[in-house]
Amino acid sequence: MKRVLKLILILLFITGCSNSKVDSHNFFYMDTYINVKIYDAENTDSIFKEVDKIYKEYHELADRYHEYEGLKNVYYLKNNDSTDEIIKLDSKLCNMIKLGLDYNKKTNGSFNINMSNILDVWKNYREKGEGIPTLEELNEAKNKINPIILNDKCELSNNHPSIDLGAIAKGYATEKVGEYLRENKVNKFIINAGGNVLVGDHYNNDKFKIGLEKPDQTKEIYKVLKLNNKSVVTSGGYERFYTYEGKNYHHIIDYNTMYPANYFKSVTIITKDSGLADTLSTCLFLMPIEEGKKLIKDLEVDVIWYTVDDKVVTTEGIKNYE
Amino acid sequence: MNKNDKLLIVFLVPILLIILLLFKLTSVKSNKVANVYYENQVILTIDLSGEEQDYNVKGYNGNVKIKAGNGKIKVVEETSEKHLCSKQGYIKESYETIVCLPNKIVIKITSNNDLDATL
Repeated sequence: MKRVLKLILILLFITGCSNSKVDSHNFFYMDTYINVKIYDAENTDSIFKEVDKIYKEYHELADRYHEYEGLKNVYYLKNNDSTDEIIKLDSKLCNMIKLGLDYNKKTNGSFNINMSNILDVWKNYREKGEGIPTLEELNEAKNKINPIILNDKCELSNNHPSIDLGAIAKGYATEKVGEYLRENKVNKFIINAGGNVLVGDHYNNDKFKIGLEKPDQTKEIYKVLKLNNKSVVTSGGYERFYTYEGKNYHHIIDYNTMYPANYFKSVTIITKDSGLADTLSTCLFLMPIEEGKKLIKDLEVDVIWYTVDDKVVTTEGIKNYE
Repeated sequence: MNKNDKLLIVFLVPILLIILLLFKLTSVKSNKVANVYYENQVILTIDLSGEEQDYNVKGYNGNVKIKAGNGKIKVVEETSEKHLCSKQGYIKESYETIVCLPNKIVIKITSNNDLDATL
């Protein structure tokens, strides 16, 4: 009798107590709604406060539209009227710029963080919703761009470069939030920062299920990835775009052509580091599949290419997440 | 095993199983619910299984009018420059969201969909 009762109690325990505590918090930074969920954590208020601080700091550093008192951010680099020849950069901003310069080289210039002038030309047309810029217009913008000259000590020449960290900052900040959570023993978490997802350990010793939406208006799920301790980032032309004379023009611009890249509807990257994932998702969006494969061949990175003619191509490793 | 053990197994175990099954079934049938957030606070929760009706919530730029019911929800009117969220139309799946950034309003549907995130 006792043994059987015990068994029943154990069964009840197993089936009844698998729920864990979850705390969820939303943030608005970098033009994005960011959701952070942490599981079985204590001191959640102070944790979310710190997460907020991290996102806010990166948001302000990467902001190219606003100045903040005492902060040498991207806006300051472009618009300051200081006579200093050199600006000593905050190490966080410096590292993001270095990452950008590194991948500028690796993509033969297609990926470029020094082209906000060109992006602005496109943005004007996108907001009007009609017409496309002429090559002359784009070249005029390009000619006004000064090079980024940065030395090993994070000293930048004060020549007002046209930096835009839109392809890096969100993922980079998300990675730093992940680091902070792990350092504070919050290992079970999921962060969803609009196109950027970073997951830690699962709350039930299972795997997180991340659905990938078709990059069109149907938003059907075409693939579900199951993973832990990975970042998944999608870059696509399907969210920010406008249609002119039957053709779609999105916001991911190849510096070499100065026009939107036209190989894919979306590119999804899976790798450990969210900053790298964010950067690579844009880089690989700008180049044919074979070139993309070359770029990642020494990295632990998996890719899902969704081509403009609706074919889905993946790297070998994707099967480990299905 | 004595007689009582057998009785327990014969009666209690099936009963427990039935209870468990009922739990599973009812949780699967749980209704679709939409949460409306202002910044981080849930300011309104709407059961989407009911008839469609209008709701008004206060956004950053003023009133945000929402239509919800019959398993779907949309923003009808809000004050913003581009009206992105009222142009978006209905959402009905639990992985869909409506984001009214200028109004700091987010609408999310929650149900038993087992995806942790979509992108």
